[in-house]
Amino acid sequence: MKRTGFVYDDCYLRHDTGGYHPECPERLSATIKWLESSGLLPQLARLPAVRADQRWIEAVHNIHYIIRFEEACNFGLSEFEHPDNAICRETYEVAYYAVGGVLQALTAVMAGEVDNAFCAVRPPGHHAEVDKPMGFCYFNNVAIGARYLQQKHGVGRVAIIDFDVHHGNGTQHIFDQDPTVFYYSIHEHPSFAYPGTGREFEKGSGPGQGYTVNSPVLPGRGDEDYRRLMTQDMVPAVKRFDPEFIIVSAGFDAHVSDMMSGVNLSTDGYDFITEMLVNLAERCCGGRMVSVLEGGYNLDVLPLLIENHLKIMAGLR
Amino acid sequence: MFISDRMCRELITAGPDLTIGEARALMTEKGIRHLPVVDGDGKLLGIVSDRDLRDAMPSTLLKKADYEQTLARISGHPISEIMTGNPQTIYPYYTIQDCLLIIQKKKVGALPVVDDNGRLQGILSTRDLLKAFVNVMNIDEPGTLLCIVVEEQRGQLKKIVDIITEERISLGSVLVSRHWDTEKRAIFPYLLTNNVINVKKRLLEVGFKLIDPMQWHLEQLPKR
Repeated sequence: MKRTGFVYDDCYLRHDTGGYHPECPERLSATIKWLESSGLLPQLARLPAVRADQRWIEAVHNIHYIIRFEEACNFGLSEFEHPDNAICRETYEVAYYAVGGVLQALTAVMAGEVDNAFCAVRPPGHHAEVDKPMGFCYFNNVAIGARYLQQKHGVGRVAIIDFDVHHGNGTQHIFDQDPTVFYYSIHEHPSFAYPGTGREFEKGSGPGQGYTVNSPVLPGRGDEDYRRLMTQDMVPAVKRFDPEFIIVSAGFDAHVSDMMSGVNLSTDGYDFITEMLVNLAERCCGGRMVSVLEGGYNLDVLPLLIENHLKIMAGLR
Repeated sequence: MFISDRMCRELITAGPDLTIGEARALMTEKGIRHLPVVDGDGKLLGIVSDRDLRDAMPSTLLKKADYEQTLARISGHPISEIMTGNPQTIYPYYTIQDCLLIIQKKKVGALPVVDDNGRLQGILSTRDLLKAFVNVMNIDEPGTLLCIVVEEQRGQLKKIVDIITEERISLGSVLVSRHWDTEKRAIFPYLLTNNVINVKKRLLEVGFKLIDPMQWHLEQLPKR
């Protein structure tokens, strides 16, 4: 069994998306309730969410963008630069705590207090660009995490692996030219699904050429394609990159029952993905891995999928 | 969708006396495949394509000495001898649709655009057309494609658009295909949002059928 850290704080529920939005507080409240009743929660090392220092957010995002975000929330707007991005007055603060939770998990793993960790945070982050909110995301939690590891803990090479059903355009673009951060994403094919990027020919540019790998999955496909694509495209590329740390963008919206996508991944398929990532982290970087919640909108299955993900990370299955 | 907004106006042109050798160097340098030929008044005389140039070149199978000798002889000829004279032209008030049909019918790679006096105004290549369609379909913006099969009857698209509007979703484009089934049509709205759960649920509630896009496979289309 491994010591697995778990980041969650009730403050994440205060990002109110207006009651008619799939990225809702119930995603986390249902998950916590489920983890409490299943008895898993006491077996995890609870890590507190703290407010991130703005300098880490500035390591990725444009300061003018950060100010625009703050103003939109303070002004009481209900959306930020696109109807997808629902906000409330508290969203700005909550987003700092989401980033802070991730940084806390990274610190705990680096200090050896835990072996790996999962961050049940919202708002999610992987669509957020340097100066633009997109697809329910404001601050790019995983990208900020990668920069934090490099600048604070002297980690050289970080791999970000993104299995949310949507392509993590923000993360890809932030590290497009950067050979020190490898980005892999498997997602529904961009001709059908948001955000319309993440085609196989997007491989990074300049010095970052070859440090981005994308596996689009056609709608209607599922476990078999994930198994094949991750084995073929991801595993060899990550081994070659030889990361010192793996950060995971964990989206549970590729599940067959999740109406956000047309991809049909099964519950077992998700287990397979987690097993693969845990093994990869074991082989490459002493198991150092922090997984961060992105999407997953079916409230009936999200808690179970997170429970399975956690159990495999903790070596309980 | 008039082509005046889409055509290339920064023109690289040549006079009829330019030699084949010079034209070849110019087109390589500028990375163009079509060179309009104009007279002193800017009136279009013809067009030279990279294909016309290649046709004029000596065979690469010739021995090197032979090749160079022939090339030297050819290079001095004026392009007026190899250009397509009186080419198919279009006017700035033509639409993108006109040009699609003309290009398809005439099998050309670019169309010179002239005014009513025959003066060259611009050129529209198949690449400009492709760019226009990427833009019209809005696929360079983030969004999600829905695939809906409907019975062939009046008012179906209205119902779909109403639901999309009520969900406050911005529409990137809508494609309608009749080649589905004799009684059915497939409608593909491209929605500029990540948030498709509610709109999908509402479409299902009113009885529309959302299809797996992979069923939309060419082999399964009726051949007509």
